[in-house]
Amino acid sequence: MSTVPLVRCAGAARTYGSGATATVALQPTDCAVLPGARTALMGPSGSGKSTLLHLMGGLDDPTRGTVEWPAIGTRAALRPGPVATVFQGPSLLPPLTVAENVALPLALVDVGPAEARDRALAALEQLGLTALADKLPDELSGGQAQRVAVARALIGAPVLILADEPTGQLDRFHGTLVVDALLHAAERTGAALVVATHDETVADRFDACWRMRDGLLSTEVARCSS
Amino acid sequence: MLVLTWLRGLVLHRRGRLVATTLGVAVAVALLASIGTFLSSTTSSMTERAAARVAVDWQVEAARGASPATVLSQVRREPGVQRALPVAFAETTGFQARSGGTVQHTGPGKVLGIPAGYAQAFPGQIRTLAGRQGGTGVLLAQQTAANLHAKPGDTVRIGRAGLPDAQVRVDAIVDLPQADQLFQKVGAPVGAQATAPPDNVVLLPAGTYQALEGPLVTRRPDLGRVQVHAKLSHALPGSPSAAYTQVSGHARNLETTLAGTGQIGDSLSVALDGARSDALYAQLLFLFLGLPGAVLAGLLTASVSSVGAGRRRRDAALLRTRGATTRQLVGVALAEAGLAGAVGIAVGLVAARIVGHQAFGTASFGAGPVAAIAWGAGSALVGMLIAAAAIAVPAWRDARGLTVVGQRRQLGRVDRAPWWQRYGIDVLCLIGAGLVFWQASTGGYQLVLAPEGVPQVSVNWYALLAPVLAWIGGGLLVHRLVDLVLARGRRPLARLLRPGAGALATTVTATMGRQRALLARAATLLALTAAFAGSTAVFNATYRQQAEADARLSNGSDVTVTESPGVSVGPSGARAISAVGGVRSVEPLQHRFAYVGADLQDLYGVRAATIEEAGALQNGWFAGGTASQLLDRIAQRPDSILVSAETVKDFQLRPGDLIRLRLQDGRTKAFRTVPFHYVGVAKEFPTAPKDSFFVANADYVAKATGSDAVGTFLVQTDGTNPATVGARLKAKLGTSAAVTDIVDERSVIGSNLTAVELKGLTRIELGFAFVLAAVASGLTLGLGFRERRRTFAIAAALGARSRQIGAFVWSEALFVTTTGVVLGAAMAYGLTRLLVKVLTGVFDPPPDYLSVPWLSLGASLVLVVVAVTAAGVVTIQALRRPAIEELRDL
Repeated sequence: MSTVPLVRCAGAARTYGSGATATVALQPTDCAVLPGARTALMGPSGSGKSTLLHLMGGLDDPTRGTVEWPAIGTRAALRPGPVATVFQGPSLLPPLTVAENVALPLALVDVGPAEARDRALAALEQLGLTALADKLPDELSGGQAQRVAVARALIGAPVLILADEPTGQLDRFHGTLVVDALLHAAERTGAALVVATHDETVADRFDACWRMRDGLLSTEVARCSS
Repeated sequence: MLVLTWLRGLVLHRRGRLVATTLGVAVAVALLASIGTFLSSTTSSMTERAAARVAVDWQVEAARGASPATVLSQVRREPGVQRALPVAFAETTGFQARSGGTVQHTGPGKVLGIPAGYAQAFPGQIRTLAGRQGGTGVLLAQQTAANLHAKPGDTVRIGRAGLPDAQVRVDAIVDLPQADQLFQKVGAPVGAQATAPPDNVVLLPAGTYQALEGPLVTRRPDLGRVQVHAKLSHALPGSPSAAYTQVSGHARNLETTLAGTGQIGDSLSVALDGARSDALYAQLLFLFLGLPGAVLAGLLTASVSSVGAGRRRRDAALLRTRGATTRQLVGVALAEAGLAGAVGIAVGLVAARIVGHQAFGTASFGAGPVAAIAWGAGSALVGMLIAAAAIAVPAWRDARGLTVVGQRRQLGRVDRAPWWQRYGIDVLCLIGAGLVFWQASTGGYQLVLAPEGVPQVSVNWYALLAPVLAWIGGGLLVHRLVDLVLARGRRPLARLLRPGAGALATTVTATMGRQRALLARAATLLALTAAFAGSTAVFNATYRQQAEADARLSNGSDVTVTESPGVSVGPSGARAISAVGGVRSVEPLQHRFAYVGADLQDLYGVRAATIEEAGALQNGWFAGGTASQLLDRIAQRPDSILVSAETVKDFQLRPGDLIRLRLQDGRTKAFRTVPFHYVGVAKEFPTAPKDSFFVANADYVAKATGSDAVGTFLVQTDGTNPATVGARLKAKLGTSAAVTDIVDERSVIGSNLTAVELKGLTRIELGFAFVLAAVASGLTLGLGFRERRRTFAIAAALGARSRQIGAFVWSEALFVTTTGVVLGAAMAYGLTRLLVKVLTGVFDPPPDYLSVPWLSLGASLVLVVVAVTAAGVVTIQALRRPAIEELRDL
């Protein structure tokens, strides 16, 4: 396994607003995610988990410090493809069917419609979601929608999967299904996986656990239960 | 409390949707109130103009044996009568004058005795052409002067039956512009008026008249009469109908007072009578051209408002989860509608005042205070109803029918076509429109019927069904077609979009297909707006084209020189006219009178090779062939003749039939029979009367009658203002010929209906059509995109580049704009043809073809493209921010 980090934050910090109304979401942070890592990012709501994930995924810019992707390249190369993100809330495009939603990242890299659909169906099959292929997002339950979002995240063969509280709006049963799907996918593809959660039982299934509080990150905890 | 908190939140955080709805209400209110201003301005100015055109409002003729002085005092006592003066009429056996060693005679004529101050009291009656100004002294009518070759200073003898001739010295040559009314047969039944005023007239001061004609009238009372000419107050009701009823009722009341001692020639009522149908047409123009715009503004408001329906539902769902009742939810929606409605109404009314002031010079919404309040309040009510229908009704429906989950749902699967599609209401409406149109337009169709002298005017309301059904059917059909393309035509659509959308074409078409209700509605509204703008612009341009054709038809050419009766000038007379500066060409047009059976009709002798261009002949003026074809026939067979439709019907003529006309021989002055062959129908012809006339070969007529005398010269200018050329010709020809120009004629034609007002109406309509087009295209699409910012932000978060987001945005924009504009143009074409046919009474003559104002239409198309481009650019620009920031804000 390569030791070149997929993503590396050096003193990266994020402040929203300015002056008296400025809110520090993330204190200056140093961290790195290596290929194949399985990391849970623990912390209460508002501790800065999502902000850190967004910076690592190149979805947002740090106000101080830097974020780099040494094993991938520039930020423009992150998506669609090497880095996939699973969002906390509903993130499927309402006018597209499940299969079309899953195939979207492929269409964005000019894969033909027929091939994109075949690969989308294959991805859905791996997650046991074939029956949902032609349904619209509004016709899915929350758990189904989140698993479809996982399928969509995986279809571009990412090397880094970032999931922002993917079980936050689900019951335990459906949450487990989603986490299973993520872990199996990471296992199968060798992708690194960082999952933000405040659920200890979810975090226990990961190799490493980072904790956050008030925008400060602690990466020294090996196992979440320890 | 909840309502106030909610409204505050809306103002602070949902300004976009509030402003959009307010704007829609404002446009609808402004349009309706502006139309109120138009109707107010139109009808009142019609009354004013009709009244202003009358030189003498009433001519009260004293009955034989009655005292004219008593009649005069009774008329003067009548309320509303501002001025009344006695005018005496006497018959003369003829006039005689010596000129250049020869003596000229005329036939019988009239001698009038007018009191001092008459010309000032009735300024439209006498126009001095030469000699002493001011309408005083001995005044010789222009045609009489031409017949006698007399000029100011000459002596004219007046024949008096049974008495020696009287002798007067001419002080001035005058024109009597309203000779028809002046010499009307007072008390004659409607339609029994003389067709032409007398040719020979002299006006004498009252004292001179009394001295010269007094003895004649004393001896022969049957040869004299006295009228009291009266001018009334023109403070009349704005509506010509109401004014007509008031004035004619007043006249009848006076006749009752006069108790048989006098009869009234009510010229004012006759003029108002003619304006009544024009006023009704103005109201119909509002129905046909204005109402669709107001309805469209309402639909657009509802559409713009419904774009935010998803978010509104989600807001309602949040309130519902926190325990809000249906009543509270509806209350919140009503408050939002009330706020948008109130602000929209205020903005709309202010805009209407500005528009009215700019377009019509009036800022009032109605002819009087009551009408103004009615129009203002009516417009406001409509605005409030639109706001309620756009916001409160959907909210009430959702609050009653949807669960929290249902309210949060953004997009459902469309399983079933709407009821009107399943029952084919669109097709039925179009078939209905066609049937009504066909039935209404066959067999003597008249939209407005205003019989002379009858107070009631009637409208063929049945015919209005055709455009109403066509609007509804056309709009629904556009919706059906767009829906069909998006539902069934995704593959070909994807192929069409592939050059711009690349591999995303299939995804883009799938997105569009799932949103087809939204896109079909947007395209339909754009099509309706395009149809509204297109039909208004084309109708207006066609109206102006026909008004110009009418002016040209009446005047004959840019400038027309009509020789006075008794003056014989051959085609060579054209040389003298050609020498005048600004003249490009001169076309001689023979004018004779011919008897067909016992009927005397006008006959025009033409040069078949050149008259078509010189007279700007239109195909619609002929039947049985085009203008060129019929003139070719005249050229090929010299005795060919074109006959009016009425004569064809009366005499049961068939093409090729021999017609024997009696024409006056130029040498012997006796009538002789000349054979012609009927080859076609002339419905209109330059300078010809509307009812019946003939058009024949000039050379043939000249040969058959031994005279090549030309009645009229049609003068084309070289680009110089026709009024200038006309003035030069008048100066050169003096009183020997009448010179008229098309500039004067246009003002007469324009005042007949609504040239000025229609221009104002269509300017308003086009202005609003432009605003509506921008709203229908740019705002609707832009707000639609805005509501889907989350979708685009997610796509961006998944890695979509701006170009790829653009594929979604531009594909939708292109599809909606193209389908909307193309189908709207088709609708506009059909509707305009329908409108021109249904409103055919507005056009005189009916148009051969529609006049398309490409510049206006091109400008509106550019506006639509700019609005759509702006909506797309703003949407894409907004996504330039980091996607997560956008998602966080939504």
